Amino acid sequence: MKQDQVISVSRRDLLRLLGSGGVASLAGWPAISALAQGRKDTLVIGIDTSDSTEFDPVRDLHYTPPMTVSACYDCLVTMTPGDYINLKPGLATSWARTPDGQGWRFTLRDNVKFASGNPMTAHDVKFSLDRVRYIQFQSSQYLTNVTSVNVVDDRTVDIMLKNPNEPLLTILAAPSFVVTDRKVVAEHGGDASPDSKQKDKGTEWLNQNSAGTGPYRLTQWVRNSQIQLVANPNYWGGKPAFQRIVIRHFEDGSAQLLSLRRGDIDAAFNLLPEQVTSLKSDSNVWIARHISLDFVYLALSHSPELNKALANKSARQAIGWAIDYDGIRDGLLGGSATRPANFIPVGSLGSSEDTTKEIGFRQDLDRAKKALAQAGLPDGFEFEVIYGNSMVAGTSYHVIAQKVQADLARVGIKMKLNPMPQVNVRTLYNGGKMQSVITYWNPPAVENALWGWATVQRVAKRLNWKPTETLVKLVDQASMEQDQKKQAELWRQYQIAMVDEANLLVLFQPIYQVGVRKSIKDFPLTAAGWQADLRGVRPA
Amino acid sequence: MTESVAVSDAVQVAAAEYNIAPSSTKGQRWRRRYGLAAIGAAIIVIWMLVAVFAPWIAPYKPDLVDVTQRLLPPSSLHWLGTDALGRDVLSRLLYGARVSLFVSIIVVLLGAAFGIFVGGVAAYAGGWVEHGLMRFTDLVLCFPPIILAMAIAAALGIGTVNTMIAMLVVWWPKFARLARGLVLVQRHQEYVEAAHVIGYGPGRVLWKHIMPNALGPLIVLITLDVGHAIIVFAGLSFLGLGVVPPTPEWGAMVSEGRELVEQWWCATFAGLAIFTVVMGFNFLGDGIRDWLDPRARRR
Amino acid sequence: MLRYVSNRLLTAFGLALFATLVVFLITSLVPGDPIIAMLGDLAASKPEIVAEYRAKWGLDLPLWKQYWIFLTRLFHGDLGMSISTQRPVLADIMQYAPATIELGTIAFVLSIVIGIPFGIVAAIKRDSWVDHCARFVSLIGVSSPVFWLAFIALTVFYGWLQIAPGPGRLDPIDFPPPTVTGSFLIDSLVAGDWETFKAALYHLVLPSLVLCAATLGLITRMTRASMLETLGQDYVRVARAKGLKERAVIVGHALPNALIPVITLAGLAYANLLTGTVMTETIFSWPGLGRYTFRSALSLDLPAIMGMTLIFAIVYLIINLLVDLSYALVDPRVLKR
Repeated sequence: MKQDQVISVSRRDLLRLLGSGGVASLAGWPAISALAQGRKDTLVIGIDTSDSTEFDPVRDLHYTPPMTVSACYDCLVTMTPGDYINLKPGLATSWARTPDGQGWRFTLRDNVKFASGNPMTAHDVKFSLDRVRYIQFQSSQYLTNVTSVNVVDDRTVDIMLKNPNEPLLTILAAPSFVVTDRKVVAEHGGDASPDSKQKDKGTEWLNQNSAGTGPYRLTQWVRNSQIQLVANPNYWGGKPAFQRIVIRHFEDGSAQLLSLRRGDIDAAFNLLPEQVTSLKSDSNVWIARHISLDFVYLALSHSPELNKALANKSARQAIGWAIDYDGIRDGLLGGSATRPANFIPVGSLGSSEDTTKEIGFRQDLDRAKKALAQAGLPDGFEFEVIYGNSMVAGTSYHVIAQKVQADLARVGIKMKLNPMPQVNVRTLYNGGKMQSVITYWNPPAVENALWGWATVQRVAKRLNWKPTETLVKLVDQASMEQDQKKQAELWRQYQIAMVDEANLLVLFQPIYQVGVRKSIKDFPLTAAGWQADLRGVRPA
Repeated sequence: MTESVAVSDAVQVAAAEYNIAPSSTKGQRWRRRYGLAAIGAAIIVIWMLVAVFAPWIAPYKPDLVDVTQRLLPPSSLHWLGTDALGRDVLSRLLYGARVSLFVSIIVVLLGAAFGIFVGGVAAYAGGWVEHGLMRFTDLVLCFPPIILAMAIAAALGIGTVNTMIAMLVVWWPKFARLARGLVLVQRHQEYVEAAHVIGYGPGRVLWKHIMPNALGPLIVLITLDVGHAIIVFAGLSFLGLGVVPPTPEWGAMVSEGRELVEQWWCATFAGLAIFTVVMGFNFLGDGIRDWLDPRARRR
Repeated sequence: MLRYVSNRLLTAFGLALFATLVVFLITSLVPGDPIIAMLGDLAASKPEIVAEYRAKWGLDLPLWKQYWIFLTRLFHGDLGMSISTQRPVLADIMQYAPATIELGTIAFVLSIVIGIPFGIVAAIKRDSWVDHCARFVSLIGVSSPVFWLAFIALTVFYGWLQIAPGPGRLDPIDFPPPTVTGSFLIDSLVAGDWETFKAALYHLVLPSLVLCAATLGLITRMTRASMLETLGQDYVRVARAKGLKERAVIVGHALPNALIPVITLAGLAYANLLTGTVMTETIFSWPGLGRYTFRSALSLDLPAIMGMTLIFAIVYLIINLLVDLSYALVDPRVLKR
């Protein structure tokens, strides 16, 4: 890789690095000759960014923008890649209950400056969290338990809760709850008053710039083209590893594959399993792998008006026993997946691959047939499934659905396929108007309570299912249990009950595979919601 | 360069004019002119036979899923390889002919019938009837077909029948326009006037007298259009509309294989099938046009 | 003449509006709700929030009122806000239109520049190998489905031979030139950036060749047929009899008349090229209007769908008008109808 280090900068290379008009925008930066290091100082990432609509942290960030947001901003607490149970300090160095026990008190880190040079204080924390709460978009729904955010002094902030036992800290690690520079955001139209919903105009500026404490700052976003990040000289964690990060938009994996091979990009995110296999023979590339906390699942409705057979629990269990989960993992995903027992992903508290082996479904056609007989449907039955015609985890819903269809046919269950635009799927599922649906779940924050509550509240409604009192109580108890070991046991019991109910069958939990060039030594992936931890990427 | 192997003076003059050596025998001339058309007809017949006899010819069932056999290259077991779900590409190709041929022939015939009716009536009636019908035709023509197809698919669901409806809605205008032009030309001819004088009603004149004379170019367009309809339907399936999976269909097969550059067989053969069928219809259509063209017959 | 033109323009606009009405009605039948897709899962499950955002986007009003709002906005030059991109539809269109226009125009120019001479030579040297070659090539162009051709082109020239650049308008690490027209070719020349010009040109090669295949075939055949017909006319024989050189006969007498139907066909072909780029843009990741239309239709983004319907219809109708006008220039009797 010697040739990467000594590059005489041609005009084209310079323009590439700086971008058109970039020379002018660098007024005030150190001498341009410092950039003669060339390509090595720039990290180029290839990923499909077509879901990006906004980079304002308080807005709905979908799937790809969190990576940028987490590189530009910090949260009070964070999660390191691989450990999704224990929180690590972020902008808060320590936290404890407030003296009256109604909330949490956070002690903030000293000497932290925003990219603008403004010092980070508790007032900024209050501003950021209030802005999220009052703007009343998707993320504010996760802070409904918060009654107020109070500044105690410059380095201390209290978050007061309605119910102090409900989880808060794990939620605060999510990218929506980062700390923004209140002076800069207010300057550009941001508003954190209770009227924020009407008054706030900060999103437009925040889509093209950032106001955070992270190692990089957002300097440009061209929709469906690229995102440009530049190093933040005021970062409290030391000198950022790169001067510049460019996130290039690629529609499809094959273009990313070739660009990765040619060295035009340093990392490729959307490779298909077959493409990853073909990279194994390339000596310039290695594969970063990481278990995600997302999963693809089949949801079955309990409503007898929609489908009489599915309303029968044994019939649903038959489906659970008939699916060839290993075939999906090995055949369709190249082995790059795992599977939880039910709605709590592997890697989270109380769920591991062993749990699945012990209490989860697996393919057992005899048990499936027995369950059918128990349901009084020995010859099988028919039902319809809806799904979106799009790609997921390196394969497509089409392919997954057809595989499941073939599996179920072996025990006499006929699954009719009804693909439709994703919007229709979401609408029908949201309204509970489908017999069954194959769709995707990705966590807004890594907190078991969110999964648990979702299943017994809104998902149950969509499935026309009334969960038993005991199950609902179990979820509440588990969510508020402060002792980790006891909590894990409660969540295990919850999963056993859910598996028995057989209305949410998780098909697989993808393992991210990212192709990375050997010129990059570290490329930490994370399942906590922002895919890759850009601050931890280091060149060789 | 003009060698006088002339059969008649006319040919000699023509040869002199066009600077080309005329052909020697009638058979050779026939082959040169209609050879391609014959090949086209043969291709179409072969594919029609394939479509009809697919269940007997195909080596495997087209929806036999076996993920342990996925993405295998062409071999003696699977002549054209297997796709992402382990299904035999050749079998899916053969069954795919059924959908493509069926859909396109129906759409074109129905569209032509309706279009010719509209165009013929418009031309014959004239006046504001013609004006109104032609503006209506314009309206449908200016409609972006993709949006219409997707709107119908989103409202009614995807599926072969719904896609055919979407295609039919936008298919008939070109026939209306052509029919109108042709009937207009005929309408002012003397024999039509004569028929009026005799007392034939407009329907009879239109149907028994004008149409046969105008039919030639219409038949050419219909033949050529079947190929076009196959491509459009495959395109809609490629975009995710069209057939319901797992129905084998050529456009859907190309779509499924699109990303798989290393496993090229998934997408290539299906596209090749579309290509050959459409070529067949184009050859045939060209041949019919040549046959109908009086000036070309001179040679 | 002026009355004719203004009549047609008014009719065109009226037809385009009617097209939007039809699209509006059809999409209102669709079971999907774009607001639910826009909100996150938790927010979407709360009816109050959904109702609030539906009201914000005006989707809770009765159908006729929604359409009325669309019309009133339209007459202020506002096409509404796109639900999926969260910005004005007009801004979206302005961003994506140059890419499509650039691609469609290059494809059109290619088909004219290659197709017409090819067709002329094929007609002059009828039944020679050039003729057969022309007929064959044009048949291939017309018979190949665009999406398949694009796949083959990408696989062979980009995937295997690696002589063509990848999908997209520029390489992954290139940056676009400062926007003047939106066309990368023009803008990079204006900025004096030769490298970007070359990169943009290389990236245009495959998609425009693929896109022009069908049109090329059509124009070649039409030119050939028209030329043949013209060459058989009496005045051509007269010209020859007068003793004019063959070349003068062809260029001076036959060609101008032969090209008339070709020009009308070419006009329609250009309209079709501009409005039919969906497949090519999808496969080559070309950020143009075709792909935008497709995406908007997929996500039921009603304002965007209506905006695109309007644009497509108007483009199509105006080009039709220009074509008909060229008819009128040749044959004034057309105007009397």
